[in-house]
Amino acid sequence: MTRATLTLLSFVSVIFFPWPLTMFLAVASSFLEPFVPLAIGIFADTLYYTPQAGVPFFTIYGALFTIFAFFVRSRLSTGSIGK
Amino acid sequence: MKKTFLARRNALFSSTNVSWGSYALVGSVLLLFVRLLAPNFFWQVFAPVFRSANFVANESHLFFASFGNTATLTLQNEKLSNENEILISENQALLQKTTSLEALFSVPTGRKNVIGILAEVIARPPESPYDMLVLAKGSTAGITLGMEAFGEGGVPIGIVSSVTADFSRTTLFSSPGMKTHGWIGNAHLPITIMGAGGGVMSASLARSAPIAVGDSVWAPGPGALPIGKVVRIDSNPSLPSATIRIMPTLNVFSITWVELRDTGTALWSALSQATSTLP
Repeated sequence: MTRATLTLLSFVSVIFFPWPLTMFLAVASSFLEPFVPLAIGIFADTLYYTPQAGVPFFTIYGALFTIFAFFVRSRLSTGSIGK
Repeated sequence: MKKTFLARRNALFSSTNVSWGSYALVGSVLLLFVRLLAPNFFWQVFAPVFRSANFVANESHLFFASFGNTATLTLQNEKLSNENEILISENQALLQKTTSLEALFSVPTGRKNVIGILAEVIARPPESPYDMLVLAKGSTAGITLGMEAFGEGGVPIGIVSSVTADFSRTTLFSSPGMKTHGWIGNAHLPITIMGAGGGVMSASLARSAPIAVGDSVWAPGPGALPIGKVVRIDSNPSLPSATIRIMPTLNVFSITWVELRDTGTALWSALSQATSTLP
């Protein structure tokens, strides 16, 4: 339930709240759902990207946070007993 | 005795393997495709959502403002009313002066009172991180690429960077990567205004240039129009140039409408920007 709420809230935040809060929610969600920062990044760039910016920053930041989240999870994951 | 727990199984959907992040990612990619393939349809769907966001923002602002000190608000209101009266009289005087000058120099009637296209702003910073506005009017209303956007009081704020049938997007002068050739100060020194994001702009100028905090910054429009003021000058004695921080005249975070006008090729030539590839 927490995962769903955080994911949904991050998406709502892209439209309803300032982007720093969106970024915070996406990073917070990444602890439970690593793909959320990337999804939020793509969604934000879908809505707001302008060619003048050159690089789709939000997608790139999202991808970086997703990679980081996967890396942290791989370090924290238990051994073969838990699998 | 060891107890065995069996997970509830479902051939189509298993609650144990639900990954909200994966679904969100697939959804975002699908939306991106819709946005690229049918941009007008995409904005038709999202415009009501943005409008509801604007409504919520306005209502919450009013709610929190209601907790303000009544005495302070009354004093502030009185002060603003006085300032408004002064500005109205100054404006009328200037208007009279302009009319006299136009009559004196016989300006053709076609160039007087150029009426632009009013467009509602449905998304603005800080929600949009790239300092752009989504407008609820597009090519069907006569909006074309490269039109200049003006805020209240005829202050230029940006340029139309993409147009669909019913929607358009305006990139603000403060957008990161946006470069505008303008002027600064009373001497109208030529500068390149760089968008710094977050509603602010910056420029680089020689340290010896006669610029002070409070000087106006001008952008090309019909003539030179003020777009902001110098709020800070970062100067390092070891460097030959100083960085000037510019605050826009209009608060881009609260713009609700803009006027779009075709100001000709003057503005296009003043911009150094990438060609728009995204509709």
